[in-house]
Amino acid sequence: MFHVTCMIAVRRLLAAIPTLLLLALVVFVVLRLLPVDPLATMLPPSATAADAAAMRQQLGLDQPIPVQFLIWLRDAASGSLGTSINFRQPVTGLIVAALPATIELALLGLILALFISIPGGVLAYVLHVRKRETAADVGVTVLQSVPAFLWGLLLIIVFGVLWPVLPFSGRIADDITLPGLTGFALVDLLIKGRFDAWLSALSHLLLPALALALGFAPLVIRVLRSSLIDAAREPYVEVARLRGVPESRILWRHMLKNAALPTITMIGVQFGFLFGSALLVEMIFGFPGIGNLMVQAVKGNDMPLIQGIALLFCVLMLAINAIVDVLYVLMNPRLRVS
Amino acid sequence: MLSLINITLSTKAHGKPVELLRNVSFTLQRGQVLGLVGESGAGKSMIGKLISGIPPEGFEVSRGRILFDDLDLMALNREQWRSLLGRRIAYIPQEPLTALNPVMTIGQTFDEHLMLLGIPGQERAAMILKQLESVHLPNVKDMVQRYPHQLSGGQCQRVLIAMAYAANPSLIIADEPTTALDVVSQARVLSLLREQQRIHETAVILITHDLRLAAHVCDHIAVLYAGEQIEYGPAREVLRAPRHPYTKALHEATPDVQGPQRVLAQLKGQMPGVSLLASMTGCRFAPRCPGRNDACEHGQSELRETAAGHWVRCASACEIRPMPALQATAGESTALPWSAPGGQPEAAPIVELKNVMLRYTAKRGWFGRNKVENRAVDDFSLQIQPGEFVGIVGESGSGKSSVARLIVGTEQPSSGEVIINGIDRRQAGRDVMHLVREQVQMIFQDPHSALNPRRSVMQLLTQAYEIDHHGAGATLRPRQEQARLLLQDVGLPPDCLERFPTQLSGGQKQRVNIGRALCMMPRLLVADEIVSGLDVSVQAQILNLLLELNREHGIGLLLISHDLSVVRYLCSRVLVMQAGKVVEQGRTEDVFANPQHAYTRLLLEAVPPADASVQWPPVAAAA
Amino acid sequence: MTNVTADMSNPPPTSALPAIASRGHGGPSTLQRLAQQPRVVIGGGIVLAILLVAIFAPWLAPHDPLGQDLLHMLAPPMWMEGGSADFPLGTDSLGRCVLSRVLFGARVALLVALCSALGAMIVGSTLAIVAGYFGGKIDRLICYIVDLWMSFPPVVLSLILLVGLGTGVDKVILAVVLVDWTRFCRVVRADVLVTRQRDYVNAARLMGFSHLRTMLREVLPAVLPLMITLFSIEMGVATIVEATLSFIGLSVPPEMTTWGQMLADGRGDIRTALWCMLVPVFAIILTVLGCNLLGDGLRVALDPRLRSRGE
Repeated sequence: MFHVTCMIAVRRLLAAIPTLLLLALVVFVVLRLLPVDPLATMLPPSATAADAAAMRQQLGLDQPIPVQFLIWLRDAASGSLGTSINFRQPVTGLIVAALPATIELALLGLILALFISIPGGVLAYVLHVRKRETAADVGVTVLQSVPAFLWGLLLIIVFGVLWPVLPFSGRIADDITLPGLTGFALVDLLIKGRFDAWLSALSHLLLPALALALGFAPLVIRVLRSSLIDAAREPYVEVARLRGVPESRILWRHMLKNAALPTITMIGVQFGFLFGSALLVEMIFGFPGIGNLMVQAVKGNDMPLIQGIALLFCVLMLAINAIVDVLYVLMNPRLRVS
Repeated sequence: MLSLINITLSTKAHGKPVELLRNVSFTLQRGQVLGLVGESGAGKSMIGKLISGIPPEGFEVSRGRILFDDLDLMALNREQWRSLLGRRIAYIPQEPLTALNPVMTIGQTFDEHLMLLGIPGQERAAMILKQLESVHLPNVKDMVQRYPHQLSGGQCQRVLIAMAYAANPSLIIADEPTTALDVVSQARVLSLLREQQRIHETAVILITHDLRLAAHVCDHIAVLYAGEQIEYGPAREVLRAPRHPYTKALHEATPDVQGPQRVLAQLKGQMPGVSLLASMTGCRFAPRCPGRNDACEHGQSELRETAAGHWVRCASACEIRPMPALQATAGESTALPWSAPGGQPEAAPIVELKNVMLRYTAKRGWFGRNKVENRAVDDFSLQIQPGEFVGIVGESGSGKSSVARLIVGTEQPSSGEVIINGIDRRQAGRDVMHLVREQVQMIFQDPHSALNPRRSVMQLLTQAYEIDHHGAGATLRPRQEQARLLLQDVGLPPDCLERFPTQLSGGQKQRVNIGRALCMMPRLLVADEIVSGLDVSVQAQILNLLLELNREHGIGLLLISHDLSVVRYLCSRVLVMQAGKVVEQGRTEDVFANPQHAYTRLLLEAVPPADASVQWPPVAAAA
Repeated sequence: MTNVTADMSNPPPTSALPAIASRGHGGPSTLQRLAQQPRVVIGGGIVLAILLVAIFAPWLAPHDPLGQDLLHMLAPPMWMEGGSADFPLGTDSLGRCVLSRVLFGARVALLVALCSALGAMIVGSTLAIVAGYFGGKIDRLICYIVDLWMSFPPVVLSLILLVGLGTGVDKVILAVVLVDWTRFCRVVRADVLVTRQRDYVNAARLMGFSHLRTMLREVLPAVLPLMITLFSIEMGVATIVEATLSFIGLSVPPEMTTWGQMLADGRGDIRTALWCMLVPVFAIILTVLGCNLLGDGLRVALDPRLRSRGE
């Protein structure tokens, strides 16, 4: 089993490298299609043409595009992704500061989504079997029609304005500073034993994570329900019933294990979706993560920062795809032992 | 100890109540085997599920009682009934490979089963090994760690039998346990079943569509037609001297592998479906029965005992007087009036394969370093004369379907030549391709997926018209007319032209399939298992149709089948394939009467003989 | 054919309707089946209503969506205290009529929805049919491209595209098509693969049909129901993407009114004038709901598996 896992991981990694390069190239080229002069925001109004030319040369913008790309790649390989035009700080530093927040948010969002959707999917299936599913089905469709960022706005209205129980801005109360050990607020504060601060961090995470979860959960409910329906049609379910296995055991032990496989695949495929929602959700909640950074970068036409974050997203997606692949093989005996 | 008394299973079709099963009654004693025989749709599986307490949705038992040992099953609630399952009533399903949870090992599934039976944890592991050994599975310690997809069909079925016997039940219901297995495994699994049954003295209900199989393995047989039990008696008797016209027809529609050749009897039409049953009065077999009279249409008859222990349900008491012979042709005797099509030996062959090899390579290991070669077809040579019927037999994986695909052109050989009408297929340019194509046409196996559900029968039959025929268009008949002629050729009524495939039965679809292949007047038809999904009575229709086509149009046929009796009926020459190679070939009569190769002998032994007195399965098959 | 007994066929087990009434399957016609599905009726009704609103917005809206009435800033809707029938849904912080803005916002939303769904369907389905039909290297190549493309979170990709392409409705449509064709491709390809296995496709090829003909006449009709269902759902997705982009401020110039813009504008007044934000939220949810219901209903009505179980 270990051998198989290694093989898949290695194969994935090797396939990922050319993919990464291609994606980086695409981003690079697309960003340079627009005739927006990145220098326009950086030069004072009194600058002369000579000043502009000098700056251009300094930033390497006078080189042909393929050369620029190679230079950027070379720098990226050594860890430097350029300097943000708007923030005037190294891109790498900005990313490293903001990434843990987003990962924390996404993980909590995923956990909440699973908490909602696994019982939800099973319930939807049970209702389907009892032929009482129309209301639930329409309900899920309604829920599915609300994207994560709208959930965010609605949650702000309900829990932030109308009934203000939870904070909806920032990552932690203004008077608390984060220890900055791993970058993950919940982990760091736990290590340091500061429980009141930990609660503050959690309460700030709750609404945005819930928004993400609500945007994601209906999809998983749908997939789980139809996977369970498919599993119920399989002969082994009927045979188990004829062996005297009780219905509840059939559902939880037999069908769920089989239905988990296509569900995990679907979650993996839709993970990009989760990241995209995180973008807007962070923006709405003022959460200092990668998404918020990206929105600011895009609004300010900050090329180096956009490129850097885009590259990061590629790496994240490829990593997640690899993890999902490995997970799928581990869970599916047909692939594991052949 | 199991009694069904006047069981009637009802449902609602289009608002009207329909009795799917009507007045089914039989009794089974401990240690006896009862065969429930019927074609698909007769209701035999329903009875099995019924006794297990899990009737399909929408169906309920409206009348009758089921007595099991001392219990009245109908009086039990669901929980009580369910507690019997696995313990006193066990079930052996039809498709063994999919009957086990694919994400659990054999050991885990078996362990769960034993746990639910109440066997304490420490004893379970040892018991699993003992049970698996009792069904003659090799390497039981290894087997316990395996997943279902790593086992063969026969091995899975043995595991299921082991699980069924784990609790030493009083009754076992085996629902077509060997239908999904190939013939050799079939014989072995049935011997195992018989052996276990004798050891444990269980009562067994064996559900099958094969009358001969049941006659050799069971003590008694009940024949079902459209939900009614039409005959019941000692197994050998029912086979040797069937009383009901349907049983007779069933027997006479099944071709024999050995013994004298005879014309297969055909019954017109097919078994009525659920929606038709509602409107039927009287005997349900009457529309198809050659000996029917007015009494049959009205009133239902009772089961009457004609000889000792032999009961028949027939209104016109046909069992008393001799039956008019069921004939397919106008001839007097049932002996075959023609010989299997032998073709014209002097003419140039339509199809010639020379040393053909088809190879698949699979990559294993890191970066696909190890290449595993699989030869689907190895050094295969064949010539087919015009008008000749040739058969290829073998089990699944023998390469026979690959040969069909090579001839038709779906696959290209890795080496060797495929020559159609003198033209090598690989070297044929675009301009002569259509000549090659029109000589050889394929009839596909699955009639349901072979016809585009969005096209009408007329469009399907003449689908070949939609291609440009390189100037030959002038000689073709108008499309409508050609469709009508083809419809007649395959024996379908004219109103079928406007129908769509979903409105046709399996046999009708297969006829349309054949008609479509005939459209451009090919000289050779390639038929890959075209009758294996059909009922025996419908199968006979298709087989006789093919012989008729040969007589009228001189068409040749290459028949691929695992069913030796079908091949014997149709083909003058046969090739036996195993693992991609031809192990024996020659004239069908010679090969089947005097098999030279051990594998051919194995295949022949695995077919249940028509003679009830012969011992089958052969004792050696138990090993 | 005199000797073989003709098969006196029994009437078919499924439907007793004459073939004339059918559209191809021998059962109730497709349109009839669609009309029987409540989800199709309701979803289709919603979408149709919004379409009409979008088309007739200039006549339906009481005010110019860009007209600022500085005397009536943040006026509440007419059923609340302080509201008037002049501005039925109130005004925003610049005195613009909320009702008029939401009606005009429907125009951009539906334009983007219809055009991008169509574009994504055409591009995605064509590639899916080609990939699934031919298999082998072509399939692997197209799958690789799809995987590559999907390695980007869709929103991120559309953001980047818009930075590169600039603002404007046509650029938004292009961005959505470029991002979402992959989803069409993946899903339709799975269906094409199943259809490809059907023997009638092989039969057509063996009869000498060219590849193009086989794809168009045998494969395409089989996957068309799925394509239509996806089209409907894609319209909902496109609406969301457009709202997202205009919320950030990247989609259309400020002279055009979009729901996303209204959301962004209304966010600042969230404590004092909730309606400024709730109205566009409701509009977006309603539109997407209509598209999803329609797509769901189409799927149930057109899926032969689900259909035959009911018969």
